[in-house]
Amino acid sequence: MRGRSEPRRLLEEPRRFLSQAQCEALAQRAMRFAVGGGDTALYIDTWWSGEMRWGRNRVTLGSDRRNNELTVSRIIRGASASARTNQIDDVSIQGAIRAAERALRYRPTSPEDIKDPAVHFDYLSPAIWSDRTFALGADECAAVARALIEPAEQAGMLSAGYIEVRGAGRALIRSNGEPLYAPYTQAQCSMTVRDPKGTGSGWAGLSSYDWGRIDGAALAQRALQKCLASRNPVAIEPGRYTVILEPQAVHDLVQYVVMKFDRRSFAEQGNHTFALRPFFSKLGLKVADSRVTISHDPMHPDLGVVPFTPSGEPVRPVTWIDHGVLTALSTDRGYALQWLHQNLGSPNTFAYQMSGGETSVEEMIATTKRGLLVTRFSNISLLDPTSLLYTGVTRDGLWLIENGKISKAVKNLRFTESPLFVLNSIAQIGTPVPVFSPEAPAIVPPLKVDDFSFTATIDAI
Amino acid sequence: MTVSRRDFLKAGTGAALLAATPRWLAARSLREPSLAPPITDPDVKPLALLALDAARSAGATYADVRLTHTWSRSFEPFNAIIQDAEEMAVGVRALVNGYWGFASGPYWTPDEMARLGREAVAHAKANALGKARVVELGKIRVVADGHWVTPVKIDPFTVSIDEVLDYLHGLQVYTESAYPGVSANVGAGFQRQEKAFASTEGTFVTQTLYRTDAGFGISYDNQQLRTDPRQPIMLPSSLLGSAARGWEYIREAPLREEIPILMARLEKDWRLPIKPVEVGRYDVVLDAAGVANLLAGTIVAATELDRALGYEANAGGTSWLNRPLAMLGTEPVGAPLLTVTGDRSTPGALATVKWDDEGVEPEPFTLVKDGILADFQTTREGAGWLAEYYTKHGKPVRSHGCANAPSALHATMEHPPNVAITPGRADVRLDDLVKDLDAGILVTNLTATTDFQHVNGESHSGNFYEIKRGKKVARIDGAGILFRAPNLWKSLTALGGARSLEWHGAAAVKGEPARQSAFSIGAVPARFKDVTIIDRTRKA
Repeated sequence: MRGRSEPRRLLEEPRRFLSQAQCEALAQRAMRFAVGGGDTALYIDTWWSGEMRWGRNRVTLGSDRRNNELTVSRIIRGASASARTNQIDDVSIQGAIRAAERALRYRPTSPEDIKDPAVHFDYLSPAIWSDRTFALGADECAAVARALIEPAEQAGMLSAGYIEVRGAGRALIRSNGEPLYAPYTQAQCSMTVRDPKGTGSGWAGLSSYDWGRIDGAALAQRALQKCLASRNPVAIEPGRYTVILEPQAVHDLVQYVVMKFDRRSFAEQGNHTFALRPFFSKLGLKVADSRVTISHDPMHPDLGVVPFTPSGEPVRPVTWIDHGVLTALSTDRGYALQWLHQNLGSPNTFAYQMSGGETSVEEMIATTKRGLLVTRFSNISLLDPTSLLYTGVTRDGLWLIENGKISKAVKNLRFTESPLFVLNSIAQIGTPVPVFSPEAPAIVPPLKVDDFSFTATIDAI
Repeated sequence: MTVSRRDFLKAGTGAALLAATPRWLAARSLREPSLAPPITDPDVKPLALLALDAARSAGATYADVRLTHTWSRSFEPFNAIIQDAEEMAVGVRALVNGYWGFASGPYWTPDEMARLGREAVAHAKANALGKARVVELGKIRVVADGHWVTPVKIDPFTVSIDEVLDYLHGLQVYTESAYPGVSANVGAGFQRQEKAFASTEGTFVTQTLYRTDAGFGISYDNQQLRTDPRQPIMLPSSLLGSAARGWEYIREAPLREEIPILMARLEKDWRLPIKPVEVGRYDVVLDAAGVANLLAGTIVAATELDRALGYEANAGGTSWLNRPLAMLGTEPVGAPLLTVTGDRSTPGALATVKWDDEGVEPEPFTLVKDGILADFQTTREGAGWLAEYYTKHGKPVRSHGCANAPSALHATMEHPPNVAITPGRADVRLDDLVKDLDAGILVTNLTATTDFQHVNGESHSGNFYEIKRGKKVARIDGAGILFRAPNLWKSLTALGGARSLEWHGAAAVKGEPARQSAFSIGAVPARFKDVTIIDRTRKA
């Protein structure tokens, strides 16, 4: 991005990942090795990661890891091929270029890859860099971990958890386009507190680009409280229940809907979740409750992502579901140019925001005659791709609600349910909050959902 | 050659990152691409020792260093995609007062070795400021200079791309033209990983490990036979899979003989009447692939010691075998005919090595003996956690050699070895188990999902057949099995014999950050009684 100033700490030596200047110099060297004309592109993810892991109330490993992941692409007359390396010397780069050129000989020309040359795009500048994250060193991180373990240990419980901070640069440098580079940070903190006898378990976690927005002490308290309150659960019959899903539990399900905002696959297969019949999508049709809007704005302070895709397309605001109606499915630029006569596609970065309502979790509980409060879901696997039917289990805290009050901890249950059913069976919606989603940021509300299908009791705690 | 490798090594090069050539042997010549140093190059050891020296001087009581150089090449003939990837990495692990630190990066340079050694110690020291922690490393036989290579007939990286593409394409064309309506999807991937391990105890070993993955999927499109009008019938076949072998794994597979046999069986099956599921309890026969999948999801995962003790609680979860010292030697996990062994020496199996990632030479060990929990998968630190049990039973406190990591970029942790069910004594095959079934269900290619303690689970795919008087009489649509692992394994009533043993590739993901490891499962077909059969897509 032209005119973008580098974050202050990035200018300090020694560097923990490659700077914009280093990436561009690397690309210049690489392009000299290209043989046979055409274009060359380097996609680089260069990163540093500081990690701290603990189990049974003691830190088990602190680590510092760094790497450069380079994908070298050669594009000749609409055919493209690539090779990967993590080395930045001439020998390795030349080797990767040769490997890409060798693979290119077998590639057919794809009309979608023939694009008008060097179009200038405007890129957004989302909030994705935090000095606070990049500055979290081993000593401070270890001290934080000890402070997070302390309350659990004092209560006679066992804590296991993980902190990760990452500083990285993502670059796309092409022989036929302006160089793109974005430095970004990521931070996450999560922990599980268990009763030493294995009769209770609680979890809490949060991720953000900014370590300063993660309140570790609050997470430690929450995980401990959930553990203590979940001890000695009683078994209840599986069946259909009204469920109050905490934001994390909603995200655990709705993320699979977000992954399905993919236009290409339905057009090609016709058996897609959002396909009406072969070659016709459900765009414009109602697919969820009218209160549901799922969108992504990269400029939202909690939803920033690297503003370009691996192929250099700008990431722009998109609304996937608007008041229950499917309004967008993702496309790349090749598809947009060929089929939609549009200059830009709408990439899906998996970052999203789901609309909310006014009801607090406490109100949801108070207005429930009989239901279950769910902390989160785990071990989710797909049963049917078309109806998006999944099975999975509840984890780290499940409680029975009777007559407006939490009455007892109950044993975990296996569900067989579709997230689309959930989005169509909403009784109440609460305030959306950021959740633990290290791969792509998400802001999700708690939900009260009717008739959620639990199919078996499980013993795991 | 202008600069010798040894000169380069001594010089230490403090040059700027990009001007220098971090791939140290590249210093020979910048004009021509040269091969990276083979792992057996005499300069690799002194390079590795630089990291150990740095860690020791910084205060480590123990340190080890791993260098890995990994090549992979994948083929997707349908889309004409061939992709090469190369990764070099070095990782240093240091122990200070019972606390571990780890540092890794991509550059094999002398400066970087020293930096990583110091960095690993800095992390260990930062962690050691808290309460006391004790690490007892299991005994090890120090190998001062060992080298080992996965025995392969043909290094896949010496086979031309044209030959591989031609062969895979030929397989697809043959299958599709011989069987109208069938479409075949063939793919392959190869990996060669060179690695060196050195520790402050004096171990230095190098290995070259090979792996070949091959996929051969068949789908059959016949409108009349479709159960769902929108979906073609997919029949994942197990003719190929993953093995620690070379190009010969694909080239020498007797596919031209096996494809007609498979197709004849599938065509017969497709013509069976289709029945809806009748939920209930049945005697069930599983093929070896299904037994392998169940074993991986239950007993293999549950006997990872770090998981059992709660170190994985915040990641994949814990284990139903959660009191190792109290359960060893007494806890029933299956019927008396169930014996399960771990081993990293089976030729061709994915977890097979000469030394693990802590320099331990693995020996075969028994996880389940006659239905009773007999041991856990261990690393050197893990062996120390079971010292009380081992000492009491006169066993050495020694790692089972399960330390593993995908590359030196990742810290090692306990990962599953190859695991096998001991076959039954009688020479029984899958067909014999089916023949002996008066009324019940046969399931092939079952896959299952479990919970975070690997105790309760449900299948999510598999082909179900109704068996009457030893014969397949119908295909059952939409069926699944629901199980509780210890109960399922206790309901085992018959096992296939040694001739029915099959090896299947498997993968385990664990840790934070998550990393994946590959291992093989040796399994035989088996019969279980009173298995719960459900309609897997039916909601409550």
